[in-house]
Amino acid sequence: MNVTMKKIGKKYEGRDEFTLKDINLEIENKDFCVILGPSGCGKTTLLRMIAGLNSITEGDLLFDGKRMNKVAPKDRDIAMVFQSYALYPHMTVYDNMAFSLSMRKERKQLIDERVREAAKVLQIEDNLYVKPSDISGGQRQRVALGRAMVRNPKGFLMDEPLSNLDAKLREHMRVELVRLHKQLGTTTIYVTHDQTEAMTMASKIVLMDDGKIQQVGKPEDFYNRPENIFVAGFIGSPTMNIIKGSIQEGKFVSDNKLMTVTPHKEHQESLREFEGKKVSAGVRSERFEAGGKYGDTIDVDIEVVEMLGKEKILYCRMDDGHQLTISTPGHYDYDDGQRHSFGFDLEAMHYFDQETGERIN
Amino acid sequence: MGIFNRKKKSQLYLSDRQELTLFGKFGVAASHIVLMIWAVVIIWPLTQMVVSAFNGKQSGYLILNREFEFSLKHFEHLFQETLYLNWVWNTIFIAGATAVLTLFIVSFTGYAYSRYRFKGRKASLMTIMLIQTIPTFAGITAFFTMHSIIASVVPQFTRQMMLILIYSGGAIAANTFILKGYIDSISSELDDAAKIDGCSNMQIYRLIIMPIARPMLMLIGLWSFIGPFMDFLLPRVLLTSPRSYTLAAGLFTLVNDFRTMNQPAFAAGGLLTAVPIVLLFMALQNQLASGLAKGSVKG
Repeated sequence: MNVTMKKIGKKYEGRDEFTLKDINLEIENKDFCVILGPSGCGKTTLLRMIAGLNSITEGDLLFDGKRMNKVAPKDRDIAMVFQSYALYPHMTVYDNMAFSLSMRKERKQLIDERVREAAKVLQIEDNLYVKPSDISGGQRQRVALGRAMVRNPKGFLMDEPLSNLDAKLREHMRVELVRLHKQLGTTTIYVTHDQTEAMTMASKIVLMDDGKIQQVGKPEDFYNRPENIFVAGFIGSPTMNIIKGSIQEGKFVSDNKLMTVTPHKEHQESLREFEGKKVSAGVRSERFEAGGKYGDTIDVDIEVVEMLGKEKILYCRMDDGHQLTISTPGHYDYDDGQRHSFGFDLEAMHYFDQETGERIN
Repeated sequence: MGIFNRKKKSQLYLSDRQELTLFGKFGVAASHIVLMIWAVVIIWPLTQMVVSAFNGKQSGYLILNREFEFSLKHFEHLFQETLYLNWVWNTIFIAGATAVLTLFIVSFTGYAYSRYRFKGRKASLMTIMLIQTIPTFAGITAFFTMHSIIASVVPQFTRQMMLILIYSGGAIAANTFILKGYIDSISSELDDAAKIDGCSNMQIYRLIIMPIARPMLMLIGLWSFIGPFMDFLLPRVLLTSPRSYTLAAGLFTLVNDFRTMNQPAFAAGGLLTAVPIVLLFMALQNQLASGLAKGSVKG
């Protein structure tokens, strides 16, 4: 199913401001599209508008070219998985899964076939005749998925479906959801605030903030080419180091004068027109390098070392107190209280216009 | 470990609370004594009532004496000399109709107040709450007038029906709040899920919300059923012929009028009054106690 949004906006009753404004988005058939954003950015509202649970104030929502604005949720041929699972507590697992089909007056035999098929795929065959209260959180999650699957809808909508699971199970279900998506090939729109889920599962990420779309693209674009300072700060853990400064004689000089970077020659062209202007430089924690082979270096005091096994995260301070986060392989020898100098991988530097927050290079 | 294992099980202190100090023990003893006195105050008259109801030595006025002879003559008197069966039937009819009417309307109002946002929602809820503070009996003249107006148009409208309307009016107002609160606690994601699964609003009400709210509905039904059994004042004032009395009003004639005075029969009648309520309670107790809303959503 092809989902197209044209200038969609949403204003809730009794609110002065638009919650969403000017949302333009194209979701291709068979996409696994993750809508990512901090809480309160309007991502759930957008999903509920696609589902038909919230009305669309302005703009058009098209499924395969057909306008869906006024179509009832049940006629949109979509299924939704909720954060709280929303299983009907008074029905057995089987009835929960069969409910949507029996509401559509399907034949008993067909319903039975579909439910059993879904139960088999999700490995909940042994729990079909118990109430949702008698099974574990992970199993309830599967039932919620199964309830969405039995109808063979054209689209799945998922609203933070994994946020109620514990870390281990979440990791497991993440893989399982991707596997399921490969198997069924159903267009999926998935809302989450967890960037790991977005990076690992999505074929397309839509990052939202403050009721607007900040960037749309593949996961690797988000990490390697964030389009503005918000995206740069949101994606990636540890958070990207962002240093404020300006361009002077073709070089980036930080406001505290402690850091000078000679931009990579591919970046020099685009930075030229920002000569003398305020620019922020971003560098990912793993793109520091200790050898000093790129020339410019910076001296820092290591304050705290976090040992994660395969890597060490160093929380450092520049001489004026500005914090930098640097990650190094776990077997390198660093200790808190030490002073070291680090260089930058110039090719992996990100430059942003401070006025607009947009990416420069 | 060995030391701990050797300690006998009976010596282990298993409670999660702190062990009681001497002062605490006195406190517990004192509260037990108060509770026991309270229990006696409640139970003693009840036992007297039960005993007198079966005591053949009692006649007319109840006398506290030690003589006892088992007999069912007071029950015979009740069934043969008085309109007891009429009163039972009247009460069950009024109570049943009240319960059904209340449940029917409260289930709608509770659902609507919980799930819909409409103009005057808050104001009307407040009004309902404030009106509760005025005792029903204060409107007795209005009830009389209303009844005579309606009865002049529809002669079939009896005073018993008026009573049913009064009872359910009160019960609807009070229970709308309770049910609204209960339905508020049911996640609205269930409604959303049902909508996507293909339910209309009416189907969500019927197939999803009502089954989940069933324990509360049962409780409301039971309460509004018990109400007419307990009330004496309204039927006494509103109902005019002994034939149309409810139990409370009917039994009262056995103790307030020397022509019909029979206190042991009053005791026997009071005892039997409990039977329908107890039966209903037993039939519903499984429903009342079940925690159906558990497990729908992760809490």
